[in-house]
This record gives sequence, C-alpha cells and structure tokens, in this order.
Amino acid sequence: MASFMEPTLLKITALIYLLGTASFILYLVLPKTFFSWFSPLLLLVGFVVHSGVLGAHFLEAGYPGVVEFRQAVSFYSWLLVGGYLLVQLKYRLTALGSFIAPLAFLMILGAFTFSGEEVLSPALKTYWLPLHVTFAFLGNTVFALAFGVSMMYLVQEYQLKNKKMTFLYKRFPSLETLDRLNAVLLVWGFPLMTLGILTGSLWARVHWGDYWTWESREISSALTWLLYGGLLQGRITAGLRGRKAAALTVLGFVVMLGYFLWGNTVFDSRHGGRFE
Amino acid sequence: MMEIEIMIVGLNHDTAPLEVREKVAFDRASLADALDRLARLPSVREGVILSTCNRVEVVAAAAERAAFQEIETFLKERDSAQDHRDWGEHLYYYSGVEAVRHLFRVASSLDSMVLGEPQILGQLKDYYVTAQRAGTVGAILHRLFHRSFSVAKRVRSETLVGSGAVSVSSVAVELARRIFDRLEDKTVMLIGAGKIGELVVRHLQKSGVQSLMISNRTFERAVELAAEIPGSPIRFEDYPRYLKLADVVIGSTGSPRVLLEAETVEAVLRERKHRPMFFIDLGVPRNFDPRIHQIDNAYLYNIDDLKEVAAENLGERSGEARKADQIVDEEVASFVGWLNSLDHVPTIVALREKLEAIRKGELEKSLGSSLKGLSETERQALEDMTSAIVNKILHAPVTRLKGKKGEGEETVYAEALKKLFDLDKE
Repeated sequence: MASFMEPTLLKITALIYLLGTASFILYLVLPKTFFSWFSPLLLLVGFVVHSGVLGAHFLEAGYPGVVEFRQAVSFYSWLLVGGYLLVQLKYRLTALGSFIAPLAFLMILGAFTFSGEEVLSPALKTYWLPLHVTFAFLGNTVFALAFGVSMMYLVQEYQLKNKKMTFLYKRFPSLETLDRLNAVLLVWGFPLMTLGILTGSLWARVHWGDYWTWESREISSALTWLLYGGLLQGRITAGLRGRKAAALTVLGFVVMLGYFLWGNTVFDSRHGGRFE
Repeated sequence: MMEIEIMIVGLNHDTAPLEVREKVAFDRASLADALDRLARLPSVREGVILSTCNRVEVVAAAAERAAFQEIETFLKERDSAQDHRDWGEHLYYYSGVEAVRHLFRVASSLDSMVLGEPQILGQLKDYYVTAQRAGTVGAILHRLFHRSFSVAKRVRSETLVGSGAVSVSSVAVELARRIFDRLEDKTVMLIGAGKIGELVVRHLQKSGVQSLMISNRTFERAVELAAEIPGSPIRFEDYPRYLKLADVVIGSTGSPRVLLEAETVEAVLRERKHRPMFFIDLGVPRNFDPRIHQIDNAYLYNIDDLKEVAAENLGERSGEARKADQIVDEEVASFVGWLNSLDHVPTIVALREKLEAIRKGELEKSLGSSLKGLSETERQALEDMTSAIVNKILHAPVTRLKGKKGEGEETVYAEALKKLFDLDKE
C-alpha cells in the first residue's frame, strides 16, 4: 500500500510546489490580490501532503527516509517549506516564498531524477546517521532561508542605491527587517550546522575509523562553516551587516548547494548514499 | 511702441538639472536687492522673482521685446563662474498669452514634477508678497498673480489633481520605511528650518517617529520650531556631535556651502556600528556631499531624487490633469481679455479724441458762418446732437475692443482702427 502511495503523493507534492511557485510570482507581480494569502496556503497544503510521503516511507521501511540521495533531496525540500512556513508565521514575510517555493520544487524534482535502487548497507540502518543528516539539513534549511532573505536584501538595497524602484520595492520589506532576520537565521543556522558536522564526524569515526577524511563533502562543509562562522563573528564584533553580510550569506549558500548537487554526482563521494 | 506685455524667463526641473538650478537660485537674503536691480532694467516695468528648488523664474511686465534679453543677462549674472555656455540652453521664454498660461499652470501645480503637489502655491504667494514689499509689483502683475491664486484654487476644488498627490514628504516617509523596520524607535535630525524640511518632519512624526532634534543657524528659530513640532533644539555648531544618534538626517538650509562631507558620515557610521542612515537633502544648493550615497549603509536622496521617485509612483498624467488644463485655458482667455481691454484703452481714447476734434472743428466752422444766427438753445441742441452722433458711432467699436470674450480679435480691430483713422500719428 505504502510503496504505491509514496511516488504518487510525491508527484502531487511536486505539482503543488510548482503551483506555489507560480502563485508566488503572481503575488510579486500583481498588486493587492488574493495571492498574498493563497500562496503560503498552497505551500502549507504541499507541506502536509509531503509529510504524508515521508511518514509513509517511515512506516514502510522502519527508518526515516533521509539518507539515500533521492530521499535526502525530498527531505530537504520538506524542511525548507516547513522552515519557510515558520518564518511566515512569525514575520509575515510572504515574498520570501518566491525564493523558497521554486527551490523546494527543484529539490523535489531531484528526487525523481536521481531515482536509484534503495539498497541500504547495514551500516546506515542506525539512528546515528539520520541524526547527522537531520542536523546538517536543518542547518542547510536555515541557511537557505537566510539565502532568500539575503537575496531580497540585495535586490532592495540595489533599488535604493540606484534610485530606480520596480514593483518589488513595495513587495519587499525594509532593509533593517531583512538584515535583522539574516542575523537571527545565522544565529540558528550556525549551531545546527556545527552539530551536523560534529555528529557526522563522530559517525565517521565509528564506521570509517576516522573523524575527518578530506572527502569533498567534508571540505565544502568546512568551507561554509568557516564562512558563516566568520560572518557571525564579524556581525557580533565588527559591525558587519547590510550588503556585505547579505552577499556573504548568498556566497556561502551557493558553495553549499553547489557541492550538495554537484559534489554528490561528480565526485565519488561517500555522501549521498555511497557510504561504504 | 509696444504695449505692456507679460514676459517670463526662467528654467525648471524639466529644462535644467539641479546643478544648473542651484547656480541660478536666489537666496532669501539677496532677493530684495535682486528685485531692485530687476526693476531698474530699461524695459522692465514690474517684476516678480520665483526661486524654489524646482524653478527659477522672472515674471515681468515689460514694454519692449528687449526685456527678454535684459532678463536673460540679469539671470546669467547670477552665475559667479560666468560659465553660461552649459546652461543658457536651459532657459525658456514666454510672453503674452503663453506667459499667462505658464504662470497659471505653475500656480495650479500642473508644471510641477510631482503633479498637484500643494507647496508651490504657498511659495508663489511668498515670492509675490516679497516683490510687493520691494515695490516692484504694479497693476498688471498684481492682477496676474491674484488671478493665478484663484485659478489654483479652482483647479484644486474642481479636479482631483492634488488630492491624491504623492508629495515629496510622503515619498521620503515611504523610503524611510524601506530602509528602517519601524520608525517608532528612530531619531530624526532636522538641520535648517526650511518649509519643506518641516513638512517632511511632520510627515515622519505622523508615521511614528518620536525623537527629533532640530538645529538651525539662528538658535532661537530652532527653539521656536522645536516648541511647535515637538523636538529638542540643538545649537548649530553642535549638530555634528549629535549626528551619530540620528537615523534620518534632513538638510533644509539655504547654506551656500556643504554641511556634511562624506568623510564625516563615514566616521559617524563607524561609531554607529554601521547602523543605516538616511539622508534627505532638501537644500538648494545642496546641503550634503553627494558622495555620501556611495557609502555602505548610507542612503542620500536629494529633492530631485524624491520627486523622480514620486513621479514614477504617480505614473502618467491623468485625465484630471487634462481637466485642470481646460480650466487654465478658460482662465487664460478671460485674463487675456482683461489685459487686452487694458491695452486698447489708448486706442479708444485716441479714437474718441479724434472724432471729438472733428466734431468740434466742424461745429465751430458752421456756427461761425452759415449757422451764425442760432439762439443759445439751438446751439446747445446742435452740440448735444453732434455729441450723440459721435457716441453712437463709437459705441460698437468700443464695446468690441473692451470685449472680454478673449477671442483675440480685439488686437486686430485695434490695429485696423489705428490704420483707418491714422491714430498712430497723434
């Protein structure tokens, strides 16, 4: 039953995220329409269906479907949408959905593209690994949100500096709001990312015999960790903020995402399902 | 000889960039002196000078076309660098009907960068009163300006132009809202006590700003203003020290030198840990160094920028603006009618005198010869009759010439009369 339900539900989820993307674009372009509440609602519905997919897998397989690459991207997009909904609930930052919805859709598309055999080596059937993946992904999710917020900052700041206002001028919130949110997300994301790296390192020690193996994924994580750590440090001590902070956040996320997609497919990485 | 004509020479936001406008701008202190010099130009009979951040115009009643040249030279003398080449082309020249229409449109805010913005009428009144005090306003400009005020009122009450106007101050508030999260905890510093600056501050206060510092060269004025729009007065020499506390800094002075350099702002931002600052420069010439805008976390908008953003928001000219232009056209016609009737008074007088002279001459000739034997009563009757004939003949042409329908034909008739009766020769 579950094995039949899962792909169908996942397709429905993908479709809803696609509709959500379109709806958010319409929200940005058209002033004062129902899209302002309809778009987040659409993502909420998608999130519920998506939760069903993940729940179904858990019931069928007996462990959370987060480890294999195909599942990982689906899990990641689920976190992304959930994270956005939380931010929306607290900050009413509807425009952020315009960055998150397409990202979630692309991720879930990855789940179809990279479909492969679901054969899991015994080593991975533990709760240690899902813990590592969950922390790492939570960190990534928060940084994805920070990426969206920073993109909005850069667009808004570009308009204010060039004194040419587009339709986005009134859609996007103030620089101060975006900058503050960037700081909040950084404060949440950095410890989560650190925990992700620590748990991963511990797991590697147990199963591979080493804390650190200079594997491509580890290098990219270390790079982003240093970047975000530096950003956090600069924010606290040196008054680093605004455009520079936003640009660094975007850079960090691009490095992270690049390795996540590219590093897993091009390098023979032990991440992304090939853990032996 | 030409009759008195209304002439305007000037430049505005449309024809000249801010750099040129600030070169030509008159400051309050030198205005009386400038008006005096204007009135002494050979062809100029009456004159009013307008000098706002968006326009510098000389409105004159002049007796010769040469007035255009004289006024142009008068304006160009403003530029101390004497470098006229780059701005002579920005000037516009209006005379007669066109000049009247232009002034009516300016008063009604149809010529403003922000259509329907309400400040211009008050400024126009200000400059008119200044000229009146300087003694450079006569019957013609008196009538012209008063009519322009009532046209502006008519436009405001009969059209929607102005009601939904995006004024400079609301654009400034909107920008502040895009830079700052909430305005309630922000501090505003106002340097100078200019009218628009005061307006922007009031707008910001209405939008939540609670903390305000006011600095002015004359401290008493700052104290006065601070009592009026709740704020704390600061001595002029002290404002740089308080700068770091200000999130929004508004420059609204007529100071000829720059009040804030980019280097100062950079240092202040470091002290503030780079918390953003919004600079609003309402001064002409500019109060703030334009390089401030290039600094991270500093945003500088001058009056032109604000108006441009406002114009973008407002979009194309609306149907209401066309309606307003129709009102202006009607009023121009009616005013020009009055002006022409004034112009033709000498023609009417000359015609009457000529006919009267003929009547008297012929009457005397006849009474001296063929009609010698008439009694006093009969003479009187003859006198009355000939006078009546002259009046009857004059009635139609005089009515036509005084006509206020503004069809523009009066001038043609007047010219014809002058030629037909050889009136010019007297």
